[in-house]
Formats: sequence, C-alpha cells, structure tokens
Amino acid sequence: MLEDVREYDEAIVTYVDDEGYPFSYPSSYRIEDGAVVLERHGWLKKKSSDKVSVLFNHITPLPTGGYMDRRYIVLWGGIEEKQDTIRFTPSRRYSWDEKKVHFFQYCEISVPRGRRYMQLLERELGRKLKPALSLFSLFFRVTRLPFLIATVVPTLLGAAVAAYHGIFDPLLFILTLIGVAAIHLGLNMANDYYDTKLGADNVNTTPTPFSGGSRALQYGLITPSAAVAMFSSFYALGLGIGLYLAITRGLVPILSLMLLGFILSFFYTAPPLKLAYRGVGEIAVGVGFGPVIVLGSYYVQTQGFHIAPLLASLPVGILIALILYANEIPDKRADALAGKRTLVVRLDDQTVMKLYKALIALVYAIIVLTFAAGYAPFTTLLALLTIPTARKAVKQISETYGNPYYMIPGLATNIKLATTTGLLLAVGYIIPAAYNLLIT
Amino acid sequence: MTFIPAHVEKILENALVCSFTCIDGKGRPVTHPLLPLYERDSGNIYFTSSVLFSKKLEYIKRNPRVSALFSNRRFIMSDEFHVVLVQGDARVLEEDIHHGWEKLLPLWRKKEPYIDAYVKQRIALPLFWERSIIELAPRKLYVWNDGDMSKEPQIYVR
Repeated sequence: MLEDVREYDEAIVTYVDDEGYPFSYPSSYRIEDGAVVLERHGWLKKKSSDKVSVLFNHITPLPTGGYMDRRYIVLWGGIEEKQDTIRFTPSRRYSWDEKKVHFFQYCEISVPRGRRYMQLLERELGRKLKPALSLFSLFFRVTRLPFLIATVVPTLLGAAVAAYHGIFDPLLFILTLIGVAAIHLGLNMANDYYDTKLGADNVNTTPTPFSGGSRALQYGLITPSAAVAMFSSFYALGLGIGLYLAITRGLVPILSLMLLGFILSFFYTAPPLKLAYRGVGEIAVGVGFGPVIVLGSYYVQTQGFHIAPLLASLPVGILIALILYANEIPDKRADALAGKRTLVVRLDDQTVMKLYKALIALVYAIIVLTFAAGYAPFTTLLALLTIPTARKAVKQISETYGNPYYMIPGLATNIKLATTTGLLLAVGYIIPAAYNLLIT
Repeated sequence: MTFIPAHVEKILENALVCSFTCIDGKGRPVTHPLLPLYERDSGNIYFTSSVLFSKKLEYIKRNPRVSALFSNRRFIMSDEFHVVLVQGDARVLEEDIHHGWEKLLPLWRKKEPYIDAYVKQRIALPLFWERSIIELAPRKLYVWNDGDMSKEPQIYVR
C-alpha cells in the first residue's frame, strides 16, 4: 500500500476538527514498518483519530503556466501518537498517475459515474440532461463523419476508371456517392449500436479518435432507439438511391452489388452473422470498400463490367481493410474480452505487424503489375509516391504497438496512406481521361 | 469586503493546486488535489468538477463543511509563500452544467493558459466538460507565515 509514496514533497494530513470542519496541514514524512511517520507539531491538537486521510500530490509546474506529470495518492486510516512522532496506518487507498493511466482512459473509466450523476441531477432539476454539443458536432461524432473519406475514395476511383474508358456522368457520380455514403453512415451507426449491445464498446476503456467506436451511446449523446432510427434511415436512403440506380442503369448487376454491400455493411457487427466477431470483418471491409464500391461506381457510369476497375479496386480495398486492421490494435484487449475475434485478437503481435507490412507491399505490387499488364495508364504509378508515408506508418505503428494513445499518430498516418494512395490512383486515371477529353 | 488579508489573497490567487477536502457519509475526510480559482470581489474560492468525478459533489451536498489547504512552495507561483488552510461552507452550483462554469474561464486561464484549446475540443470529451461549480465561502483561515509549520498558525475568522 505504501510502495510508491516515497517520491513526494510532503504529506497532507487531514482530519475533522471539533467544529466539524476538515483540518489539513502539510507534514514531512517517512515510511516505517507499514506506517507513515509524520511530524509532531507542538500546536497540533488532535493526536489520535481513526478517520484521517493523507494525500500525496505531485505536479510539475510549467514555466509557461499550467502543469504536467499529475499523480496523487490518497490514503485513509488512523493516526496515533507514538513517542515524539505521529504514526499513520493506512487501511484504504486511491491513486492516479497519468503516466500509468492516461488522462483519457481515466475519464473513460469514470463514464458510468458521470452518467449516474447526470441522472441524479436530472431528478433534482426536473429536466432532461445530456452532454452539450452543437447539432453539427453531435452529428459529426455520432456518425463518425470523417471516416466517409473511405467511401469517397473508392467511389471516385470507380468513376475515374469509367472516365478513363471514356464515360463519365457527374450527376450519376454524385448520386452514387450519396447512396454509398448513406450506407457507410448506416454501417458506422449499426456498428456502434451492436458493439454496445454485444459489449465490445462498453468494456473498451481506451478508445482513441480512430478506435473504440463513436462512444455516442456510452456517453449518452443519443439513446439506443435513436441510433436504430438513424442507421435505419441511412440504410433506407442508401438502398433507395441504389434501387433508383438499379432501375435506371442495370437491375440485376446493381441490385446484386447493393445487396452484397448491404449484407457486408449491416452484418459486419449485427447478429446473426457478426462478421467482425468471427475474424472475417477485415475481409468484409476489404471486399465492401474495394471491389463492391469500385465496381458499383464503375457500372453505374458504364453499364458494364471490366477487369480494370476490379484490379484498381484491390489496392484500395486492402488499404481500407488495413485502416480497420490497425485500428483494431488499440481495441485488442476489449475485443478479446467481448469475444470479438478480430485478426488482431487471433494473431500474435509479431504476426500482426508482419501481415500489415506484407499487405502494404502487396498494394504497391498490384499497382505496378496492373500497369505492367496494360490495365492501367502509366500515370497510376503516381500512387507509388505514398511509399514514404507507408514506411512512416509502419515505423510509427511498430514503435507504439499496444499503447492506444501513443498509437494515435501512427493510426492517423495509416488513414492518410489509404486515402492518398487511393486518391492518387484515381488521379492517375483522371489525367489521361481529361487529356483525351481536351484533345477530342 | 473580505476578511482575508492581502498576503493570503496572494497565495490563493497564485496557487496552481490546493488540497480540497470534503467529508463523506461516514464522517471521514476525503481529500483531492484541485485547481483553486479565487475571486477577489466576493472573497470566495471556486472549483469546477466534472460529472465524471462527482463523488465530492454528492458529499458536499450532504455536508457543506469543507477545507482547502494551500501548501508546497513549488505549487505557489508567487514571490511570497505562506501555508494557508481555508475552512468554510461550500455550495454546489449546477443549474447549467453545460456552460455555467465558463464564467470562471478568465480565472482558470490565468493558471492554465492552454485551457481554451481543450475547451474547443469539447467534442473529444463531452462528459468531462459537463461541470458543476463548487463555491467555497471562507469562514476561518489558518496561516503559517513563510510556511513555518513549527510555529502556531495565525487565525482569521470571518
């Protein structure tokens, strides 16, 4: 109980005085035989009590104002006078050290208490209370809006390959984008809803901006029924647009792709399939955000299939699956506890990194081979410009592996890698398409 | 007009942290380090507490008798140093836990200049920024001048 109390400047001793107020004073101290030996000031009235707290507190003040390195220990127990000293024998303790438990994790652990207190306050104030966020911030957080980039890239890529093949309708592109984005937002929210229902998000105390879900349900930002209503609406919008595109552009092919996309999206977390819980979530995401979206976007434009968009979809599908894969690393403990057998849970840490590196290498190999086989223009090799970003992502993730908060920059680089590579690949198809348009 | 002497106000105003104590349901003191925000006009000391760390708020509502100890030379950003114990009665102000505490930002900013950057990122920790205000009205001060704990404290009573 006292092993880590030696490194503080002073002990703050507190008891309740005769007037019923807390009385505190600082004291020098030493540890001896399981007790804290305190100074015995001549003016001190109370020299024995069984209800005493002793606080050890540390901060490092910053020259620019404020402080860092917060840690403290609170002990409860009794004091008794012994010869010329006062001995404090602790029976309980509470502590926090931000170097051991990151501030975000400390807050996350306390979320159930915060929610309980807000419910108490609701009763006291006689009105509903939920955390205050602007409507946009709420929408941004609840839907995990920035992740939409993972939809924009493959939709654009499919349309870019179509443009390279001489066909591009901007209105159809926008409609496709809205439809796919709606399904993606439905996926994000259904994932939060079912991960909460199945327990994975509840036991996760180390969420990051890229992992652990939106926390909207954990923080009480929305109710579970509102989440169901929202993801149902997004799916309805996405499927409605898909149906329109199927009727106008090709019933069987578009309906088939849409149905496959919806199944991969909804049953990614939802029972009975729970793909993410069975170790196939990464493949589902790779297929859904790769071939399904790219081919769908291509088909809407051209009303036909071709091997070129399929080949173009592979690097993007792999990279987007790798976003999920890397984001699973901080969630490993919570996922394992909830029985979510992701690849990261199934594999040992070394294999996780080996597979990550191998798949990145495969991405660049596919880009080069697709060009070499004549299915992509020379300009798609622009995507190779992201190789330094890939090296950076590998380095950052390897160096911080397993520490959720230190991993954040690596996870951000990994997302940048997927989006920039996908965008450069799309640009690689758009350049010759634009050139052809200008010269004809 | 406050009964707090000027040399003590200087400590209250310049402390980065103090040891705040309330009393739990079993009559035991519960001490936590907190950022004190002293308001000269009212002579009150304010603290803010997130709902995430709200146990002390429940204790104060049951028993408003609290104290705040200002000690440790390194935590007092002033040329003067005295150890000060403030005893008093506390109120929890939480009519508006969303924004009510923002009125204390000018005092808060003086001690943590980076606080605005965190407030702007409210979306990252929504529950952390749901905060109650603890208002401590001092009734008795114990002052150990120059931090000399071997001597009897000077006592000031409202």
